[in-house]
Order: sequence, then C-alpha cells, then structure tokens
Amino acid sequence: MSREWPQATASVCPVCLKRIPAQRVRTGDAVFLRKACEAHGSFESVLWRGHVDVDDWTGPRAEPPPGNPRCPTECGLCPDHLQESCCVLLEVTGRCNLACRFCFAAGDRGEEPTLAWLKTALRQLAQPGQTLVQLSGGEPILRDDLPEVVAAAREAGCRYVQLNSNGIRLAEDPGYMRELAEAGLSFVFMQFDGTEDDIAVRLRGRPLLALKQRAIEHCAAQNVGVTLVPTLVPGVNTDSIGEILRFAVARAPAVRGVHFQPVSYFGRMPAVPTDGMRFTLDELLAAIGVQAGEVIDAGHLRPSRCDHPLCGFHGDFVVAPAGGRLIPLTPRRSAECGCGGGPVTAERNREFVGRRWQRPSPAGGDIAGGDLRDMGVFLRRVETHGFTVTAMAFQDAGNLDLERLRRCSLHVFDQGRRVPFCAHYLSAWGSR
Amino acid sequence: MTGNRVWLCHRCQREMVPQKTDFGYLGHSFYADILACPECGLVLIPEELAKGRIAEVEMQLEDK
Repeated sequence: MSREWPQATASVCPVCLKRIPAQRVRTGDAVFLRKACEAHGSFESVLWRGHVDVDDWTGPRAEPPPGNPRCPTECGLCPDHLQESCCVLLEVTGRCNLACRFCFAAGDRGEEPTLAWLKTALRQLAQPGQTLVQLSGGEPILRDDLPEVVAAAREAGCRYVQLNSNGIRLAEDPGYMRELAEAGLSFVFMQFDGTEDDIAVRLRGRPLLALKQRAIEHCAAQNVGVTLVPTLVPGVNTDSIGEILRFAVARAPAVRGVHFQPVSYFGRMPAVPTDGMRFTLDELLAAIGVQAGEVIDAGHLRPSRCDHPLCGFHGDFVVAPAGGRLIPLTPRRSAECGCGGGPVTAERNREFVGRRWQRPSPAGGDIAGGDLRDMGVFLRRVETHGFTVTAMAFQDAGNLDLERLRRCSLHVFDQGRRVPFCAHYLSAWGSR
Repeated sequence: MTGNRVWLCHRCQREMVPQKTDFGYLGHSFYADILACPECGLVLIPEELAKGRIAEVEMQLEDK
C-alpha cells in the first residue's frame, strides 16, 4: 500500500510556537517533518527511519490537520478533535524527589493544589463508571494525603485510578503503599529506564534499581499491578530494551507490561535535539525484535488505533506457563497492511488496557502449569498473566504534527479543560 | 442447551458421544469435551459453550 508523498500537515515553530504549515516528506524509506517559520527559519525532524514500511504502518488514513487556527496554542478539546479521552491526567503536585535530565513536567507548576481543589477537579473530570484518571506530577506520592485523593477519585466514579510514579516512596514506605491500595488504587505506571544503575545515574541522577525492585514487591503484596515505563534515550538505554523486557516478563504477574516512551524534548532537556538524539517508533520495533526475539515476536506489535498510528503501538500477550516468553494474543501484522482496521473508540481502548494492567482478585487462584489449550486454563492465565507491550511517541516542538495531535486520547485536565498531552506540555526551545 | 437429550448425527444416525475435540479459533488451539459422531466425527458446539467460554475467549483475543 502506498500513499502520496509529501503529505501536507501543520506544526509549530519550535522557537516561537506559532502555528505554521509543515510537510511529511519521504526520503527513501525514512520520513521527516519539514517546516519553516518566517521569523526563525527552517526545521526538520526525523519521524520514521524505515525499519517498517511507513505506508503499511499508517494504512489508508487521510485526516487533514485541524482547521481551527487556534490549534494548538489555545487548546482545549474543540469540535475539530477526533478522539474522546482514553485517560485523563491530573497533576496532583509539582514537587519531585528526583532531578532528571529529562522531564516533561519540569516547568514552574505554581502552588501545590489543595485536597479540596483536587476533589473538585476529580468531580469535574469523572464520567462515572468510565474515567481512567492518571494521578501525576511531579512525584504524586510526595503528597501525604494521596490515599485521600485516590479515594476521592473513586467516590467521583472513576473506573480506574492510575498512579504515575518513580516508585521511590513505594519502595521505602510499604505502609503507604497499603493505604493507597486500600483507598482504591488500580495500578501503577512506574518509571523504569533500565536494569543497570548506570542508566538511572545518567538519566535520573542516582542509582535506583534496588528501589524499583522493592517497589514492585510492595505493589505485588497489595495485588496492585505495575507497568514499567522506560524513557528511551539514544546512547543511554536503547541497547537495554531486551534486558528491560526480560526483567519485566520475569516479574509477571506483579509486572503487567512495559510501556516504552522514546524520549521527547519538552520541559527539561539537556539540549535542542538533533535527529541523532531521537529514537523513532520503528527503530523501537526493530530493537525489540533484535534484542528480545526469544521473548517476544515483534510482528504482533500493532499500530495504535485509538491514537494516531505514528503515536504508538500495542501488543497483547500472555506469559507462557514455563515463563520467559510471551505468547501473542493480538494477531500478526499482515504484510499488506499493518494498520489492523480503522480507529477504535477511546472507551474500547480504555477497557482493554484497564483489564490488563489491573490484577484480578487472587481468589480465583493461579494456574502455573496448566495446559493453555484448555479454555478454562487459558482464560484464567490471560487474566492473571496477561502482559502488554506498548509504546507512545510523544511529540515536542520539533516534531509536532497537528494531524496526529487531533487523534490524541491522553488528555491533561487543566482548569476545567481537557488538553491533549503534547499540547499541554509543549514548550519552546528558545532562540537557536 | 444439550442437557441430557440424546443427539443423533443427521447423516449417520449414530448417537453423538462426548469426546475430547481439538479445534482452532482465532489462531489459537483449544480442546474441549463436546459431542461428536463416532462414525463421521461431526461435532456439536452447544449453545452454552458458544455463548460462554468461546465468547470469553473471543473477547480476550479481540484486538484493542
């Protein structure tokens, strides 16, 4: 399948953030975003390096960038937006106990929100029985009243309450972990950049591996699932993708999956990025195949259908009874078209991830050595040992593509508005 | 429902009997004890299996 190239879209100037026209340009198998600002010159960012055919990956999709001229600078979901909220992110603090080289939320976050303010926000954002709320920051567990925030999310009707955390306090304070679980915490997204302390030192400023392992154990003791979230930075941990997957699979069912996030450049970053500082989704697909081929068949990783296909992928698996290997549940990408059908609703996506990331009640027992050809054994095993491998490629001022932004389902709750993640954290790079 | 009824194979007129049967579904292999004709092998998928476990399996294998 081939599409016409170049493709017109819209972006922003990375210096002044003014909306400007842009083109996706195919050069050989690679794709670049090109744009020019009258005041600040021309810019180009790599989007795809050609390890997978980009036309096969994106499919026959033709969605122009939103016509609203105020997109993205005055963003809050408007009639031009094409996707509902899969997840709603609420910042509960601006404080943090790490000083990372990279952080999307490193700007001035203002005053600490009060518990009363957060309760009001949760009532505003919750659609009872549906919402998946991500409590984020800063580092949310620096709040001593976080269990009350979790309980308030439940009272407001949130279906799933997710904690985005670096895991440090979860490791150091198991009693606090228990309080969070008792308040109704569904699952944890835990920053996890590699299995060697050197990686954490380079990215986060201190060794963290032992703490992360303890945090996983403390979550497991409360039957709270953990999904590991590596930020992938070329030259730091892109050779550790296989090790991360092996580490995670070995810790199932406590660990429910790995959610890779190739580095993006907003908030705090060490330098204005060159293409060599970027790691594209198709590079990640190729790296998984090369580094972890004995664990996972990367051919079962499929483009996002909830968000834009260039924004992420997902694969649904079950850990083999003998351990160490993932049995695919999602079908293989076909040779003709990897897109796997048209877009899906945010609700369908939310139910999918929620049922995998949340651990089932231990009352149903654990089937360690059963035969997966028995449907009862299979169903219980999928429930207890389901495992997702997912990725999200956030966009920054250099590679922001408003066609992609238009399909975003991860929304930040900001003063009553829902703002797509990459629009909310968009930050100018300053004069070059 | 199959209940305690006796089912006959239409073609062979033999009484169908419970038999461990392998089948493929959505790219996965499963087995189940279901009624089969001892003569020609025709199987009967009872409604409770189709609407029960098979439907659950289908839901788990559905792409998000």
